Amino acid sequence: MPRLVRALHALERAYSPGHHGRWSARRRSALVDEAVRDLTEGVPGSVAVVALGGYGREVLCPGSDIDLMVLHAERRPERVREAAERLFYPFWDAGLPLGHAVRTVEESVRGARERLDVACSLLDARLVAGNRGLFDRLDDGIRRQLSRDRQAFLERLVADGRARYERFGSCSAMLEPDLKEGSGGLRDVHSLPWAGRALFGGRGLADLQRHGLLRAAERSALEEAEEFLVRLRGALHLATGKRADRLVLDFQPSLAEAFGFEATAGLEATDALMRALFEHARQVEHVREAFFGRLEAEIEDALTVEPPSGPEDVLGAFAASARTDRPLAASSLDALEAADLGPSPFRWTEPGRRAFLEILRAGPAGERALEAMDRAGLLSRFLPEWAAARCRPQRDPYHRFSVDVHLLRTAAEAAILLAGQTSDAVAGRAADAVGDPDALLLGAFLHDIGKTGRGGHVAEGARVARGVLGRMGVADQVREDAVFLVAEHLLLPDTATRRDLDDENLVLDVAARVGTPERLAMLYLLTVADAAATGPHAWTPWRQALVRELVAKVEDVFERGDMGVDRAAALEERKAAIRSLLAGDARVERFLERMPRAYLLAVPPEAAAAHLELVMPPLARAEVRTAASPGSRPGTHDLTVVALDRPGLLAKIAGAVALAGLNILSAQAFTTEDGVAADLFVVEPAFAEEIEEERWRRMRTDLRKALEGRISLEYRVVEKRRHYPPPRADVPVAVTVDNRASRFSTVVEVGAADRIGLLFDLARTFHELELDVHLAKVATYGGRVVDAFYVRDLFGRKVEDPEQTAEIERAIRARLGG
Amino acid sequence: MKLVMAVIKPFKLDEVKEALRAVGVNGLTVTEAQGFGRQRGHTEVYRGAEYQVDFVPKVKIEVVAEDDQVQGIVDAILKAARTGKIGDGKVFVLPAEQVFRIRTGEMGPDAI
Repeated sequence: MPRLVRALHALERAYSPGHHGRWSARRRSALVDEAVRDLTEGVPGSVAVVALGGYGREVLCPGSDIDLMVLHAERRPERVREAAERLFYPFWDAGLPLGHAVRTVEESVRGARERLDVACSLLDARLVAGNRGLFDRLDDGIRRQLSRDRQAFLERLVADGRARYERFGSCSAMLEPDLKEGSGGLRDVHSLPWAGRALFGGRGLADLQRHGLLRAAERSALEEAEEFLVRLRGALHLATGKRADRLVLDFQPSLAEAFGFEATAGLEATDALMRALFEHARQVEHVREAFFGRLEAEIEDALTVEPPSGPEDVLGAFAASARTDRPLAASSLDALEAADLGPSPFRWTEPGRRAFLEILRAGPAGERALEAMDRAGLLSRFLPEWAAARCRPQRDPYHRFSVDVHLLRTAAEAAILLAGQTSDAVAGRAADAVGDPDALLLGAFLHDIGKTGRGGHVAEGARVARGVLGRMGVADQVREDAVFLVAEHLLLPDTATRRDLDDENLVLDVAARVGTPERLAMLYLLTVADAAATGPHAWTPWRQALVRELVAKVEDVFERGDMGVDRAAALEERKAAIRSLLAGDARVERFLERMPRAYLLAVPPEAAAAHLELVMPPLARAEVRTAASPGSRPGTHDLTVVALDRPGLLAKIAGAVALAGLNILSAQAFTTEDGVAADLFVVEPAFAEEIEEERWRRMRTDLRKALEGRISLEYRVVEKRRHYPPPRADVPVAVTVDNRASRFSTVVEVGAADRIGLLFDLARTFHELELDVHLAKVATYGGRVVDAFYVRDLFGRKVEDPEQTAEIERAIRARLGG
Repeated sequence: MKLVMAVIKPFKLDEVKEALRAVGVNGLTVTEAQGFGRQRGHTEVYRGAEYQVDFVPKVKIEVVAEDDQVQGIVDAILKAARTGKIGDGKVFVLPAEQVFRIRTGEMGPDAI
């Protein structure tokens, strides 16, 4: 036994960790055989020592269990026990992993009948030492037992494959796959010879090929996959020092190095390793499916199609498979795979395009059809861009699947949402808002197509998607919407989780980027589908709440008409004009970001450009910056006042303007989210005289003093008012408080007769009620003013308490009546 | 030692993290949390679909620090997390009896 341990260690050292393939595994098995034969010398002739499972197949990875069975026909238990102890104890003592069993032929056959794993391990049984006749009886008994109901055995094998997929996932897409039990893993490779052995007693893949159940290409693909999987599993055993089958992330870098994978442009070494595994595992899945399809000759619901006469027929066949949710028969798949698709890249025609869209619309059934297309290598032939996404691993805490699998799932999830099959009420409403499903389905199918490892995947994805959809020849609107979805598929989740959703500018900018309610609905559905297809941790209630809040707010500004395609275009135009006026000023982007969207839309670019100098340099607490210039109408002047926003600021400015003897013809008050007020007035002197510089200077001084609390504006304005004619009595006072007009502010509209200091009075009332005037629009028509004030409470929210809104109305009426 | 626990607006996380780094905090725990305070829940409407938001999404951060560093940490959070609007969150300071570093078994301030 010490010799065996030494020999096994020597074997481990003889090759670098990445090179323990099937040859090494067979050598390991042979070394164990020798030791077993040594130990069984002198064992009674009524006993056979049998290797089972991987050891039976002569494939032992460094950490694999050595499955040994003592097969006996002994009536005297003590003699069997003695034989078993002589065999098993040395393995245990040497610390080698042993799977042991002591059975009669009858017990073995019963075990095989009852349990699939026992049956499979017995199908690999191999006599190592002892009674040949007894072993032959076992072999015979097992095969007879299984051939009694071949169909049932095959069904159990297929069902087991499905159960393993449910439990362990797939080696062809998951980042931490189980190399043994996972779909596309070693168990799947072995399930083919098991089936063949149970059916006609053959051994290995060569026999299957001889019986016409395996194509030559399939056999070599399986053999290559097995070699790769055994090497990888062996390396994993050596790295972990134990029998580990899950390829966890921690070990991937060292294994990639052991395998000699090197980083290339756009693909890390570890990703290259995983991609190689995914490709092998996908081949295994493909061949396994084709093989079992052939065995059952006709799986009951398999779909048989006529041999294709052109590429449209190939797409049509998969569309039929998706439409009926039936897999294509293996014979049909062979013919489809061999079809001539014409020159590359594939030339799309109307019937082909229709068939492809039908597949996407079929949801999960379409996903299965596309998977079958992919395994047959057809998807990359129709869409060459697919090749870059194929089997590409994704490394982040959220994604569970490779890029291609994620794309297929996202498209299927999108189709499910569009069909209204969701408990998410918002998604249900969004689905209703989507007219043509194709843009969303194509956008979902392509949204990560830019993940090629070269730079930002979003911009690249939009570029690739445009090319794909252009070649496909989908309608212009569908193409533009789909490219938009690819380009903006992170907009909602990124904005919602990282930005301030109470920032009006932000919401308006998102609305401007999205453009229409329908696109917003599609984008939300894509966000939900993307998350659902990513993994169980991607769509938490936390993320959902934030994304929904953003969607509701953006929808709201669409509904109110605060943003839309036209306004978004106007905004872009204004921004472009300001940029070109201020070309070379590094502050322009920050300026455009800070200024309220209503400001950019309302103020002519030339004026706005002139404001940059007033707004951008940091302001001191009581600092007031003003600029005045002749107005557009003769006798009028444009006056801009900039100061740090504070309670009552607008009132003080309006008061100082009134004290200077100026009528306010119109006013627009804006506040940035970071608290700078920019108030724009059109004023004219009350008595039609010139305004000398002296008067502006006095106004500035009054304002500064008022801000510092050194003068009271109130009695001075009252005094001033005595020199003016009284307001017209025939104009009624009208006040409305409206909470529907704006998402972010309560809008107070006031109609009244004009008089000196009117704005001062109104703004003071708001100040007294602790309301912040966020935006004001004041207009004068003859002797009549119509004002709108967008106000928020101390906490920056709308005023929704009915008592308080009533108080606002009463306070304004009282002030203007008095 | 104290445990400083703060509940803040999600979008303020990066600013708070930077501010804490600036006052010498080397490690913190971040959790996506949901709850309500004076802000309460609210009703959102999307295309006529009304849904109640009972719990508002927040981010919870936790830092363990020595007593003399606590005020600096609290000040940094107060400054960085403030928007002045409702729902800015809260900061709690709790006594932390003992701290262990699992890998080495170190305890007390050494383990922070």
